[in-house]
Amino acid sequence: MSPHYKLIYFNARGRAEHIRFIFAYAGVEYEDERISREKWPEVKKRMPFGMLPVLEIDGKAVAQSNAVARYLARQYGLAGRNEWEALQCDVLVDTLGDLKQVLAQFRMEQDPIKKEEKKARLMRETIPFYLSKFEKMLSENNGFSVGSDITWCDFVFAVSLENFEHIFGKAALDQYPALKALKIKVYNIPSISAWVGKRPTTES
Amino acid sequence: MAPLYKLTYFDGRGFAESARFLFKYGNIDFEDIRIKRQDWPKMKNMLGTPFGQVPVMEHNGKQICQSAAICRYLGKMVNLAGNNDWENLEIDSIVDTMNDLRMKIMLVQWEQDAVKKRELKDTVLEEIVPYYLARLEALVEKNKGNLAVGRLTWADLYFVSMSPGFDAFIGGDTFAAYPNLKLLRDKVETLPGIKEWIENRPNSDF
Repeated sequence: MSPHYKLIYFNARGRAEHIRFIFAYAGVEYEDERISREKWPEVKKRMPFGMLPVLEIDGKAVAQSNAVARYLARQYGLAGRNEWEALQCDVLVDTLGDLKQVLAQFRMEQDPIKKEEKKARLMRETIPFYLSKFEKMLSENNGFSVGSDITWCDFVFAVSLENFEHIFGKAALDQYPALKALKIKVYNIPSISAWVGKRPTTES
Repeated sequence: MAPLYKLTYFDGRGFAESARFLFKYGNIDFEDIRIKRQDWPKMKNMLGTPFGQVPVMEHNGKQICQSAAICRYLGKMVNLAGNNDWENLEIDSIVDTMNDLRMKIMLVQWEQDAVKKRELKDTVLEEIVPYYLARLEALVEKNKGNLAVGRLTWADLYFVSMSPGFDAFIGGDTFAAYPNLKLLRDKVETLPGIKEWIENRPNSDF
């Protein structure tokens, strides 16, 4: 019998969406709990390290979105065929995480001049640096981020690429055809498409 | 015979020390390559760094970056991983948590505005670090002296390898008021392989 899963996060895609994609793909039921801003201070105190997302598995609370995603990927055949492929999933997810960290720092910057400088650097150097490397890896790997089948890494990428399009516009991925194709491939998977069609619409 | 593994990083502990601890604990021969600051700009864009960052582990001609990914893999090799997916989940969760703490400290160090830096440092020192240490202390007590699954795992080595960095930030012994964390550090630092490594490793500021 399947464990009882409760995913706790804000009403957003954010750091939880790739986990929701895994559940959708695997056809696994779960409680998709979304915490409002008003309720957050109270909920925060009950979370293991005061942060979200948290996945409760049969009542046990587990923090850290990628630890949770990796675990679920192993349960539902989305972690690659062997340890080396599992390692490659980790490498790509964490590397994408590095890029997201730079983006987050840009968004947190309050000084308008510094913010403009950071933005220029992102657009000119950081984003092209990472995306062109990802693009190369994907096109040399038959369109999957790892191995020869869908892994949780593809979901992490697809979700980030959707966010990227929201921030930079639909045409932003045109210069990265393999990345664009990956996003389309993932979003066309019937179970994913069904989830995206019915999930709450949120800004981020 | 040349070592089967190569680890490339700057000349410091930083993000590579956790992997070095695991290699030493498992008595696995590796080439400990340290790049000098002046050579870094050239190295960064060469083929040896897949995404322009270090540490990079090389094995069988393949390059792998990302310290946590490397350590997860090495952890399995040296029998310091979980016995099943749930145990690995607990380990991963706590490793990512300690990386969150480290990142919050690094954001202070990267802040260039002196006033902001002071404010941010005060917040991190007075609120964030104690918040994490209290929970880590409780977790180690619950887990019989370790960070996860009631026994020694690669999470413990990963954490202790970071602790000199915490000490440098705090300007003292991070675990002074946290007896379980202190015991864990002592335990890991005296493990065979690691004890000798700490005594003989190159000195560095970071």
